[in-house]
Amino acid sequence: MSTSENPEETPDQPVGQEVVASEPASPDATPNRMAWMEDTLEWGVRAQPGKHGLTMRDINTGIYGDVPEESRDMSRRPRGAFPIPGVPRTDLYTLNHKVELWADNAVDLYEEAIQRRWMAHIDIPWESLEPHSEDVELATRQFCTELAQQASIETDVIGQWLHHMNYAYHEVKTFLATELFDSGRHYAAFRQRALANGGGLGLESPGHINRRILESRAGWTETALYLYILRGTLTLLLYRYGEAYTNQPAEKLLFRMCMQDKSRHMAYGMAHLKYAVDEKGPDYALGLRRLMGGVERDLASEMKDPVLWEALAIIIGGGVQHIETGMVEVKNLQRRYIEEYLTRMKWIGVGKTADNLDSGLAAYLGQKESNPA
Amino acid sequence: MATVTNRADYWEKARESGFDLSWLDQLKQNTLGETTSEFSENNTGRVEGSIPRGDVPQFGAYTFRTKKDVWAHNLTKLYQEFVTRQWSSATDIPWETIEALPDDIEAAECQLATFFAQVEFVASDVPGRFISTMSPDYHEVRMVLLGQVMDESRHLDVFRKRALANGGGLMRMIDSVSDVVGGNTDNAREFTELSSRLHITGEGNVLTLFRLGELMAYNEAEKAIYRRCAQDEARHVAIGVLHLRYMNEFNPERREEIHSYLDEGESRQSSGAGGENPAARNILTSEALAVLLGGGKDKTDEGQKILTAIRQRQTKEYFQRLKSSGFDDRITNGRVNPALLEVYNPA
Repeated sequence: MSTSENPEETPDQPVGQEVVASEPASPDATPNRMAWMEDTLEWGVRAQPGKHGLTMRDINTGIYGDVPEESRDMSRRPRGAFPIPGVPRTDLYTLNHKVELWADNAVDLYEEAIQRRWMAHIDIPWESLEPHSEDVELATRQFCTELAQQASIETDVIGQWLHHMNYAYHEVKTFLATELFDSGRHYAAFRQRALANGGGLGLESPGHINRRILESRAGWTETALYLYILRGTLTLLLYRYGEAYTNQPAEKLLFRMCMQDKSRHMAYGMAHLKYAVDEKGPDYALGLRRLMGGVERDLASEMKDPVLWEALAIIIGGGVQHIETGMVEVKNLQRRYIEEYLTRMKWIGVGKTADNLDSGLAAYLGQKESNPA
Repeated sequence: MATVTNRADYWEKARESGFDLSWLDQLKQNTLGETTSEFSENNTGRVEGSIPRGDVPQFGAYTFRTKKDVWAHNLTKLYQEFVTRQWSSATDIPWETIEALPDDIEAAECQLATFFAQVEFVASDVPGRFISTMSPDYHEVRMVLLGQVMDESRHLDVFRKRALANGGGLMRMIDSVSDVVGGNTDNAREFTELSSRLHITGEGNVLTLFRLGELMAYNEAEKAIYRRCAQDEARHVAIGVLHLRYMNEFNPERREEIHSYLDEGESRQSSGAGGENPAARNILTSEALAVLLGGGKDKTDEGQKILTAIRQRQTKEYFQRLKSSGFDDRITNGRVNPALLEVYNPA
């Protein structure tokens, strides 16, 4: 074996740098039968399962746990696998630096996503759904149509970025695969709820923020800023309010399960953004702050659209006749959304405050609190 | 419960107070169509069946907006199976059953695990890319593809875990690019091309191997890995079979084109190029398999005999997929790769 017992065959590679192919590694189709039996960079690894089974963190040991700051490997070589010389590129990955996608918690969140998997078509007691009043049922359909579309856009966004990510960072890629799967489940579940009591779906989203997230090309970090802090903050609040203001067990459980998933997505997004800002420094943070200027104007414009808010006000109030009562709570939600947006931006290290917030959004901060969910 | 008259009064009153509520009228009129449209006008990412707004930019710009380019029947049921049969590589594999193996056996297990850790995610990245270019009006297709992305991530993970769980380590990477003739799975830009190559040939070959995992497993943990991966892989292969069946039935003008993708896939199945068939002759994974199947590096002759039977089984299962999807004419009309026929009907 090319193991530590044979140090001359083990490239002495500092942590944080990639192992590169050293001559004379055997080509793939070698006439030297069984030559591959010697080809390993580290042998003798015996990862032990812990109380949560054998997790991905458990196997991040020795060189296999060394995450490079940069990867120039354009193949799918598993991190720590023995390289061979002259392998043509598989792809031109664009996310090749740890700082562009990494979060320390991704490895644990991946396992958590799998442990906490659920099945919308089985775990939700759909049969317990009873018809709401017509107003509330229509509003619920509208609310669920919006949530299904938000989930569908999340699917598109992750799908279009996943293949750009270098294989050295498989913890992030596998975590994002779980998020992709979650988003599909959310889409299916909310669509199913919207259609569960008969009738059709509601109006599509206004589209300003969907467009921003989907068209984002500057980097995964910039996209993550939109996907998690701008959109995810709202989605999570909508789930919370949905859970708080329904009296139907099926809907309550649906919102709870989605909240659990979304909290996990946010945990990755926040950790990545903080890591990226910490690593790249104040100039990058300032750039992100400036980037959000135009986006905030789009958000302010989208928030003027009445459809989602009126639907929520009807659900919260219990019908059109109490829509004004419901709207008081909706205003609380809007205020909390903008407050949490600012809090999250501050937490990741972007100096976004009420003073430099778009004035259209700042107006929501003055909305009065009553009895938030 | 409010009466109709009362409701009209409430709505009117709310409107007078400044609420819009016009969307409520639109929603009341909206009913869900029963059929999936042949051509999707949806370029805004809206949920299939939702009410379009006129002023939303067409930012979706989806490449795939024609049903017959992507569709297959029974995908909703298949998606539910994806959801129901998820499993955990951390807790559903009895890792505690692994015991130390002779070095040659462990090396062969690790080489095979390294191979799977490398190639399984091909089937994750590429379908992920296609999902985002497909109109949400064909959400059933998108859903099974994202189920596949999830499965393949777990496969990458479970094989990496196997390589690092029993005193071994990752071994030699494979070259998945050299000697690939024609289109490459990674580079496919067309869904039927991707599906023919990825689902029908590539994953089909791996499925046969997973199904025969008992033969190369040395403990309960490895048996469980192969058994569970086989179950997942069967769903992925089903995506391709269902799609080709649909194409054969509703898009027969593309049959010849599909046959050309199968030509390429068969070439790789027999040669092992692109890493699409770990059991193909003269590649390092087939040596590793021979060690595992024979029971040691000094018993590879026995292993090679079993490997020959595995190749035959792969070919039989591939022919069965062709039959099931309506493309089995190539088996008898001389188009099928002669190397496969040779494996199927050994002299």
